[in-house]
Amino acid sequence: MDSDAQLADAAKAGSDAAFAVLVERYQERLLRFLLTRCASHADAEDALQDTFISAYRYLHSFDPRWRFSTWIYRIGIRKAIRQNRPEEAAAVDPVDVAADPLNDCIAASEHENLWLAAKRVLAEDAYTALWLRYVEDLSIKDVAMALDRSVSWTKVTLLRSRRKLGDELSTE
Amino acid sequence: MDEFANRLKEDAASIQVEVSPELAVRIAASIQATECETGSTNISRRQHSFWWASSLTGLAAAALIIALLNWNAADESAEMPKEQIASVVPEYVRQLNTGFSLKIENADFTEPLEDELAKLKSDLEKARNNVRRDLKSAF
Repeated sequence: MDSDAQLADAAKAGSDAAFAVLVERYQERLLRFLLTRCASHADAEDALQDTFISAYRYLHSFDPRWRFSTWIYRIGIRKAIRQNRPEEAAAVDPVDVAADPLNDCIAASEHENLWLAAKRVLAEDAYTALWLRYVEDLSIKDVAMALDRSVSWTKVTLLRSRRKLGDELSTE
Repeated sequence: MDEFANRLKEDAASIQVEVSPELAVRIAASIQATECETGSTNISRRQHSFWWASSLTGLAAAALIIALLNWNAADESAEMPKEQIASVVPEYVRQLNTGFSLKIENADFTEPLEDELAKLKSDLEKARNNVRRDLKSAF
């Protein structure tokens, strides 16, 4: 199986099939991430579609020194932020927890899903940093690049987020 | 990887998501539309570059032709002997110049107009005198 870098190179050279494989590889992972960031399932799907369109359109500017996952998540984060702009999210009540699309996607369990708790106690950037580091296994440097932050900010944020989440769990 | 990190990974995996066939089709269609759009942009870019290239080539050719013509003309005028210049002047022009003075000819041409002007001035003077006379008789 080709690596992301090989597929990205082929797509850059004009191979639509290679790009289709990348879409197939990332669509579910990205949708899962976007569901945690968007106000509704429909918004997450729109953000996913926009992410792939932008990736295809700006593929020529993809720098092979980046990991493809870092690059595509960076685009995804921007699309999610765009979906969550006040004018876009005006129709959704921010305090309506039941409207959170994550609630529909998480099966009933004896303990609360950590990502629901994280969404409650962490800021958006900290939440994203935690997701990219522990779910997508990106390096701290890649997380910093995806969030357009410094490496030291990322390290400190990850540490604080873990502590904060740990405190939240221990109080339950 | 520690226990906390494992739990974060497991809980993320427990978020059930599925890309519906409709969404997959939608994504594929939008990418295809983008592909067409990008293709047409490339064609228009190519047309622009072709237009620029042809215009610049045309301008360069025109400048070259003008430069060559000027260069040849300058050379010819510089090297042309006096005898040759004289022979260019037609015979009838030389006959005209030798026959009479150009000053007299100019006077002949303007004389009727000068006469007419003198007549007009005299008419004007007469009219002025008539008006003066009428004014004197009235007051």
